[in-house]
Amino acid sequence: MKPKRPLDPYLFLAPTALVLGLFFFWPLALVFKNSLYRWDMLTPPEWVGAANYGQILASGELWGTIGRTLSYSVVVVVLSLGLGLGLALALDRPGKLYAFVRGAVFSAYVVSWVAVALLWMWILDADGGLLSTLCRAVGITPKNWLGDPAVALYTLAAVSVWKITGYSMVIFLAGLQDIPRSLHEAAALDGAGPFSRFLHVTWPMLRPSASFVGTTSLILSFQAFDVVRVMTQGGPVKSTTVFVYAIYEHVFVNLRVGRASAMTVAFFVLLLGLTALQLLSWRLGKPGARRA
Amino acid sequence: MSVRLGRRDALITLASSFAALAGAGCARGGKDGEASLWFAYGGTNREVLLSLVNRFNAEQSTYRIKAIYQGDYFEALAKLRTAIAARAAPALTHVVGEVVPYLAQAGTLLPIDETNHVTGDVVPALGQTGCFVRGSERPIVCAPFNRSTPIAYYNRALFDELGLRPPTTWSELESVARAATLRSSDGTVTRHGFACPIDWWFWVALVGQAGGTVVEDDGTPSLGGEAGVRALEFWQRLVHEERTMKPPPGRDYNAWQATNNDFLAGRVAMIWTSTAFLKYLETNAKFPVGAAPLPADVRRSVPTGGTMFVIPAASSEPERPAARAFLQWMMQPRQANEWATRTGYLPVSQKGLAELEASGYYREHPNDRVALDQLKDAFAWPWAPSLFRIQREAVQPRLEEAVLARRDARATLDEARRAAGEP
Repeated sequence: MKPKRPLDPYLFLAPTALVLGLFFFWPLALVFKNSLYRWDMLTPPEWVGAANYGQILASGELWGTIGRTLSYSVVVVVLSLGLGLGLALALDRPGKLYAFVRGAVFSAYVVSWVAVALLWMWILDADGGLLSTLCRAVGITPKNWLGDPAVALYTLAAVSVWKITGYSMVIFLAGLQDIPRSLHEAAALDGAGPFSRFLHVTWPMLRPSASFVGTTSLILSFQAFDVVRVMTQGGPVKSTTVFVYAIYEHVFVNLRVGRASAMTVAFFVLLLGLTALQLLSWRLGKPGARRA
Repeated sequence: MSVRLGRRDALITLASSFAALAGAGCARGGKDGEASLWFAYGGTNREVLLSLVNRFNAEQSTYRIKAIYQGDYFEALAKLRTAIAARAAPALTHVVGEVVPYLAQAGTLLPIDETNHVTGDVVPALGQTGCFVRGSERPIVCAPFNRSTPIAYYNRALFDELGLRPPTTWSELESVARAATLRSSDGTVTRHGFACPIDWWFWVALVGQAGGTVVEDDGTPSLGGEAGVRALEFWQRLVHEERTMKPPPGRDYNAWQATNNDFLAGRVAMIWTSTAFLKYLETNAKFPVGAAPLPADVRRSVPTGGTMFVIPAASSEPERPAARAFLQWMMQPRQANEWATRTGYLPVSQKGLAELEASGYYREHPNDRVALDQLKDAFAWPWAPSLFRIQREAVQPRLEEAVLARRDARATLDEARRAAGEP
């Protein structure tokens, strides 16, 4: 049968295709192209082939940046997931006090990253900051939270966790409220204790929420920029130079669009790989997947 | 007559509106006689500049300057480069001196002074002719705006109490920093004797004092040779062995601000920073602030710093007359002196400087005199397009690595030289 209006599907697809093409595929193609040139945006680009890729590999910059970004992401994803779940379980109760605490925890998520970064810079100041003062008051020698290369990345990760945990908590709360109470009652009648009920009822029912929170916090952690720009500017000693910040530095500080583009392509490939792994694990985790 | 709009008509109308809006957004050029000035100061310096702009706008009605804040020097430069690439640059802005040869070689700057009316009265060491090697042999593309040298600031009350004088040599700096450092019973430093941002500008000063040159006149990045190593090792010794120097946290101007904050809070007895902060520190310190020239090693040496006014070639042509008029106005003695005396930057007008001398200003404000006197120890930067990249990409990040992570100074500078040689 011949469709009456064969062009209509394409017309319906066109707006989405146009937006995706203009804001995703076209810039991506430009980045691939730019990665093969030496260019400072002001003088004509010069073809260098794969030299930009060779440079970021040979200098160790690529692996160092991947290592720092993954370390940051692991801390952010694991802690925001764990804390979000813990808070959701603790605060999934009726009452004004619980509602207030839930609101207070979530409020950090709606504050801008720059405001959060400035607040934490004040708290984490090595000399007069709140945290260092509290440490001294209880007889603990405070760390140079943002000035010590061994600590700074994890300090930034902790700040990010503080900011996004409220979001994880809300998603988990929604997941918890979707679990039928009858399941808990049936498990309790069968003699299951609180831990057993969590393990065999709550957690399996929360897996889609956990998967969603894990994915969104992973994306967010890979996009870290504001907190780095405001709090450490990639230092000390490059210890907080994560991917997006490294790309920014190459373009806007070092005037190297080609090298930044090569880093962007590497970042794209890394994210593509991680997404593929995630999809694979999701498919394997689906009921009946092993039989297929 | 009633008109019924179909969905398609509504979409077409919507799309046309977006296109019209986008077109309006992209339209360039302000009203007649109006020009945009991108600037990169916060705090007191921003207030002073805005008051000057307001006065310029009030004193005449032909031109109007719109001053737009663009972050710190490097943020503003990043935006400027993007704007140049997009052919949407402001009519007037200011950039760090080290980047002028690069921007000029890329053909992005317009000559500003074919008739010598704008820069004829400029203090030579601060303008293009004296600030750059053979700067007078090429078209003048920049005019001095906020020009400075690094100077030492010290807590005069504390120095008097401890019987200390500002150091004049590196060895005196070591002993003064030691004497001013305060430690608690467990050895923790509660007040450092000295602090300085781990920054290219101060390292260049140290290299010069140790007898070296960072970038040769032909653009070769020698990074001071042995003097460069000696300068870096001096910092390493003060931070790690003596533990009398506090390296501030943060990078670029965050580190500079942290240094100021430590000094104002009494956590550091003496700092090196720009003369630009003179009025800020004098106003905000709860103790009398002393200023002194930087010490010598084998000789005295300081770099000049700060920024130069430039007119980007990618600016809108109708805006340029206003930009040129404002630039010429800013170079006049009255404005140059107002800017200098309210901020701490160096006065750039020779006539203005003579007026200040004659009025006894420097007798009343001896701290203001320090940077001016140091100009005799200032060297000219090479006209090297690679200068900015050597600074930002090859040297600056490695200084931090060498000092904070205590990497071998010689190996660090060898690596920096290799990086500086990369095309």
